[in-house]
Amino acid sequence: MAETRTLGELLVERGVSRRAFLKYSSYLATLMALPPSAAEAMAEGLAKARRQAVIWLSFQECTGCTESLTRAFSPTLEDLIFNFISLDYHHTLMAVSGEAAENARLQSMAENKGKYIVMVDGSVPMKDGGVYSTIAGRTNLETLRETAKDAFAVISVGTCAAFGGLPHADPNPTGAVAIQDIVKDKPVINIPGCPPIPDAMTGTVAHILSFGKLPELDDLKRPKAFFGETIHDRCYRRPFYQRGLFAKSFDDEGARKGWCLYEVGCKGPITYNACATLKWNGGVSFPIQSGHGCLGCSEPDFWDKGGFYRPLPTPLASVREHVTEAAAAGAVLGGAAAWLARSSQNAYKSETKKSEEA
Amino acid sequence: MDLLEFARGPALQVSLAIFVFGVIWRLLGLLLLPWRKDHSAPRGTAPYAVVAVLQANLRKMWPHKTFVKATVFQFVNGYVMHVGLAIVVLLFAPHILFIKSLFGVTWPALPSNVVYAVGAITLFSLIAGLLHRLTSPVLQLISRTDDYISWLVTLLPVATGLLAIIQVGARYETLLALHILSICLFFIWFPFGKLMHAFTFVLSRGATGVRFKHRGAEL
Amino acid sequence: MTARVTASGAPYEVQGEMSEKDRLSHAMRTFLREFGASAAIHMESCVRCGMCANACHFFITMQDPKYTPIYKLRPFEQAYQRHFGPFAPIYRLFGLTPNVTIEELEEWQRFLYDSCNMCGRCTLACPMGIDIAELVKEARHGMYAAGLVPDRLELMDRTTKKWGSPATPPEDFADIVNEAAEKYGVKINVDLPKADILVTVAPAELTEHTKALADIAKILNRMGVSWTYSSDGFEASNIGFINGDVELQEKMTRKIIDRAIEIGARTLLLPECGHAYGAARWESARWYGKQPPIRILHMMEFLAESINSGAISVKPIGSTASFHDPCQVVRRGGLKEQPRDVLRALGFEIKELADHGPLAFCCGGGGGVVSCARADPLRNRAFEIKRRQVEDAGAERFVTGCGQCRITLTMGAKHAKWDKKTESLLELVADNLEGE
Repeated sequence: MAETRTLGELLVERGVSRRAFLKYSSYLATLMALPPSAAEAMAEGLAKARRQAVIWLSFQECTGCTESLTRAFSPTLEDLIFNFISLDYHHTLMAVSGEAAENARLQSMAENKGKYIVMVDGSVPMKDGGVYSTIAGRTNLETLRETAKDAFAVISVGTCAAFGGLPHADPNPTGAVAIQDIVKDKPVINIPGCPPIPDAMTGTVAHILSFGKLPELDDLKRPKAFFGETIHDRCYRRPFYQRGLFAKSFDDEGARKGWCLYEVGCKGPITYNACATLKWNGGVSFPIQSGHGCLGCSEPDFWDKGGFYRPLPTPLASVREHVTEAAAAGAVLGGAAAWLARSSQNAYKSETKKSEEA
Repeated sequence: MDLLEFARGPALQVSLAIFVFGVIWRLLGLLLLPWRKDHSAPRGTAPYAVVAVLQANLRKMWPHKTFVKATVFQFVNGYVMHVGLAIVVLLFAPHILFIKSLFGVTWPALPSNVVYAVGAITLFSLIAGLLHRLTSPVLQLISRTDDYISWLVTLLPVATGLLAIIQVGARYETLLALHILSICLFFIWFPFGKLMHAFTFVLSRGATGVRFKHRGAEL
Repeated sequence: MTARVTASGAPYEVQGEMSEKDRLSHAMRTFLREFGASAAIHMESCVRCGMCANACHFFITMQDPKYTPIYKLRPFEQAYQRHFGPFAPIYRLFGLTPNVTIEELEEWQRFLYDSCNMCGRCTLACPMGIDIAELVKEARHGMYAAGLVPDRLELMDRTTKKWGSPATPPEDFADIVNEAAEKYGVKINVDLPKADILVTVAPAELTEHTKALADIAKILNRMGVSWTYSSDGFEASNIGFINGDVELQEKMTRKIIDRAIEIGARTLLLPECGHAYGAARWESARWYGKQPPIRILHMMEFLAESINSGAISVKPIGSTASFHDPCQVVRRGGLKEQPRDVLRALGFEIKELADHGPLAFCCGGGGGVVSCARADPLRNRAFEIKRRQVEDAGAERFVTGCGQCRITLTMGAKHAKWDKKTESLLELVADNLEGE
């Protein structure tokens, strides 16, 4: 059912003061590294926003992204924002509703044609006609194509939807692909992470609601506000990296002293996410702070980067096996070259001898 | 496969294989050539090939006093470059990790900031070396393309390494990939140009050392 | 025998009637014959540092980069890369190393002969330990095979082939010796059928330095040892060692060694000469495949040994002296201390030249350079280094142990109008024997 009240009216109804609302808008604006003036614009935009229809599709996923989102720790207003989004369809949350849920989806698509947002978590399997993941008897591929057709934008939530994630990892038996590999004619935003930081999801949606357009994205279509910097650049353990103080193994002296985890496989330097600043569970901690190197979970193919404990400056593939063959080949050619040289030398010597005897 | 994966994966595999292949080819191609035995009576006590090789290699590490004035810049700059390179390659923590992944051996690293400074000094000494080559009439006469290529493939890892740690010019993972690719280039060129002097210098100094010690002459 | 000029204006001389194609072919194949593992390693090792230039007296005085020692080897190295090195087949297949041309060899004659004494000072400067002097000597083998040697070196080659010596027919040898015996009043043994020591000579000792014949005779007679000269084996200087005629080098070496063995000698005594030492002491074993059963001594060595063992004594004649170290005997021969022992026995206070012993500068005449009139201007310029060092050392007398050095230094002094006399170590000993 379409909601006709604006968010501003809704908030007034629930007793939220304008002051509190402005405060929240500045928080959102700061979060997204927008200039101070944006706070007011965001507030105004949000106040005027109409209830946004959102259809949430879940494919090859573990539901961690949904869990993360619903565990979002945030000021109370966030709940309202979330309620303001008309979650017309959510596969997991509405699983028990069966046919009714499917109809709700189709109805929302029709009523909000061109204006609804599709949020997807999980990748889409392509092998064997896509039979490895079906909902209501239809393949994910079909569902995605059908649902995305009249959408305003598609948001791929989590690394599986954004880049293929775990199902896509070697050997990828189901032929899993990212959402952006299928949806080519609609704006796609990727919010990767395994799972993504809750604020990354809500902040992006808030941006769309406030300004009616997509936030600034990097070349992997990730919002720069949350994915513009590496973990490494914001990591509190960076001084130890600079000084060359590393934990060599878990629970050694370096580990206990909180030194850099580079040598135990931290992928911080090549991972773009906001974990080092926003952190998790309302800013309690993040993996490095808890003593484990960054897995690089917001990057494509992070499962196939040689291993979570394989440090960055090491080869990904085995070098040794080819080296023996190379050495043997070199020896053969070296020997051959020396033999050729010797033969031509001997040939000349015997030639000279013959001409001397002649 | 992105650039960094390519660099850390097939690029390193192939370039290291080419390195081993080329070095062994060139070394064996030399060592298996005919060795002329010196049958003349040696002066003093013989045999002493190992001692002679060692002494010659040590002696050649610094010029005779009479040559110092004319060659001191080259010698000193050469050492700054080589020692700097050795420090950066062997005493920087990420590099030690790389070596550990290949050979299983490890040793303590220098503080990374110290290595950065040494890297910068090495870069300057490389540039100084090039400037010397470009401005010396003797070197301009005898230099060949190999000298410039070898210089470039040595400079690039140092330069890209420094760029990667100051993170200027591109994203870190791109700079890291370029750094690793520059090392791959170094390994590929190594056996085919004058970088082989890293192996041949011992043999060349040694051969002359043996000849001279046989004659009781000083090197 | 014609003097020519290359397209770039470099003078060169050509011997024989071969076609250019044949010349090149002979040179290349002779180069090929010479390459061995250590030559190959040396030629792979140059890093183009140019430090060798700073050691070479020709570069130092002329400051022309073309006298850079390693540059002198360019065609030789090119031949190596194209035909003998580990990547030679690849270089040939892809045309990465061009073939050496006859023009290049003609261009390089002056670098290999006029401006190189094979003195080996560059070898001491090279941080990669490349024995450049040795390689120049080997390169000359190819140049000789191509007929690309300077005229005088070819002339000496021809007379040596004919007479067994560059300037003296064998039938004249005994006469010259007997004349010296008479002139200096010393008994000189010639052509004894048996003797313990076979004494040999350098060409100058049969012309301007004939006193040397008597000097050594005097010493040997005083020692009471059994010794002789031989008309059939007297020439030690070995032009083949110098000009690149390997066949002649072997012939000349065998002549004196075989003769020594024939007369039952245990010692072959070489004259005051540089290249004689290199040819006989270090390279003779090459021809026999083993060390010949004979002790090969340089004159300086013999003098030092005899004095040190007390076989002879000399009178101290005091005063100060500087010594010029002949390259082939000291730097490349290992006899640094011997002449100094002799000088000290003679009571001299030795005032060393700034560069002495293994680092001494060459007189500028070795390797046949003094025989090439074409190289005179270059040699005279290089001589300035020697002159300055002798003057700076400030000793009363100036001595050496090689007749060719003595001639070169005398010629240089004359050209520079310098009145310093260069003396012979042998003569000093012979003239100051104790008990006269």
